[in-house]
Amino acid sequence: MDVFSPLILAVIVAGLYMAWNIGANDLANSMGTSVGSGALSIKQVVIIAGTLEVIGAVYFGDRVTSKIAKGIVPIDQLITIDPNIVIIGSLAAILAAGFWITFATFYHMPVSTTHSIVGAVTGFGLAATFFIDEFTIDQIEWLVLGKIVISWITSPLIGATLAFIIFTLIRFLLLGRVADPYNLEKKFAILQIFSACFVAFAHGSNDVANAVGPLSAALSAAELTPYGVIPQWVLLIGGVGIVIGLATWGWKVIETIGKGITELTPTRGFSAEFATALVVVGHSYSSLPISTTHTLVGAVVGVGLAGGLAAVDLSVIRKILVSWVITVPVAALTSGLIFAVLMKVI
Amino acid sequence: MPFEYVRSVLGIFGESPFKPVHTHAEKSGEAVHKLNEAVDAYVNGDYIKVRTLDTEISAIEYEADIIKQTIRKLIPSSMMLPVDPNDLLSFLKPQDSIADHAHHTAHWLTLRETELPLDIKQGLLELMERTIKTVDAYENTVDDIAKLLETSFSKKEIKRILKKVPEVEELEHETDITKKQLQQKIFEHEDELGGVGVFYLISLVRDIGNIADSASKAADRLRTMILRR
Repeated sequence: MDVFSPLILAVIVAGLYMAWNIGANDLANSMGTSVGSGALSIKQVVIIAGTLEVIGAVYFGDRVTSKIAKGIVPIDQLITIDPNIVIIGSLAAILAAGFWITFATFYHMPVSTTHSIVGAVTGFGLAATFFIDEFTIDQIEWLVLGKIVISWITSPLIGATLAFIIFTLIRFLLLGRVADPYNLEKKFAILQIFSACFVAFAHGSNDVANAVGPLSAALSAAELTPYGVIPQWVLLIGGVGIVIGLATWGWKVIETIGKGITELTPTRGFSAEFATALVVVGHSYSSLPISTTHTLVGAVVGVGLAGGLAAVDLSVIRKILVSWVITVPVAALTSGLIFAVLMKVI
Repeated sequence: MPFEYVRSVLGIFGESPFKPVHTHAEKSGEAVHKLNEAVDAYVNGDYIKVRTLDTEISAIEYEADIIKQTIRKLIPSSMMLPVDPNDLLSFLKPQDSIADHAHHTAHWLTLRETELPLDIKQGLLELMERTIKTVDAYENTVDDIAKLLETSFSKKEIKRILKKVPEVEELEHETDITKKQLQQKIFEHEDELGGVGVFYLISLVRDIGNIADSASKAADRLRTMILRR
């Protein structure tokens, strides 16, 4: 099968659409704190985020991508049975996640692309058990899935703890001691450029998988990429898609968000960003797909608990929890249904 | 929002209620300074100016009320603040009373024209001067909240702000003494002023006294808010 076969093209287009969404909203959220604190202008943020996102995706995105591609549903086994099923399944998963994300974005629900794609891939795996006799439900890596779900709970908590510690250190060692705290903030505005870079890199390393995970599974099934490796050009497709999302839409989202966050100063922004980036990169290293934005929310709450913020609106957490519980089953069900329909049609 | 395709988690950042608290304190101060002008006009028999100023103070008091409502809206139960929200609200209440009392006093001034003996005139002006001093000292204390938040309640800043509270209380005490002396003087002029005149002036002086009293109460509640954090 070649790259221009309709099915593969469809997976690529759907993957790019997903990448566009990630750039337009998720990356924009991750960068919003840098603009909110006044550390960076919109233009600077777009350049930094675009560059570091691609670097993170291409050089450190393979682990999570591989996990989403074949860690939950044993794609390698399915390929030996019927490679077409994997290609159709990948298309179903990416379409389902894309639909749900589009819907959620229109209704302003704080849904995670990570949760969507993991749910969608699982849904395809479950649906596949109905179509292939040799493939049974216990072959799905439930343990891996369990670990991923646990990491969704723990990552914001670790983010909160780290941010709490970082800000508390800044508070006692610097803010409480310097003669002019406002001057200290100016210095932290420079440090925040680095933490913003770190966040963009971390985001690229973890979230590119949400766009190219299923794509790499499909390419591998079509024997377009060598067995067992994820080529950098695949990751690059995702990275570029995300940057396009940022450049065409995400910057406006950053602008809106940045205007809303007026209370954030560079010391607080730095603390939240640095904690978030550490947690996300750590999970990328451990091949665990997590939500960068949810980790950031955890980190902001951590700074708030350390007394760093004038007001933290915890109602967002409830909204996140609700969308969290809805996302996995909805994405799984949609993905399974699309898969079943495609199997009948094709 | 000019466009609708947005999915954001950054609603986590609430709007600070402390900025409007600061603006509210400024409004209260503004009302008292206007009242000072009004008392000055009253003493000089310029009742038209008193009326104009009463209208202005009324408008300021209304603005302060709107700000107070905004602050209340900014702290729903889901909002995590670095201080107890109840403490913040109970500190806001006497701060709001400053503008309320100024408004009430200005209105009282429009109700009756009185020929004042010289020492009563001087007494009223002195009382207002002390009231202004107290309210200004209070406003100065509130100004420091911003730095307190910026340093995330550093010991140094807490110390600084807590040192200012007794200063406000001290000034209020002095105002109170002036008030009592003035009340005594009013009764000394009983024959000249007549029963209604005495009643009018005693009420006026009591109303002015309430202003510094509220400032002192607000400073005390501010201290409680910081200490109970």
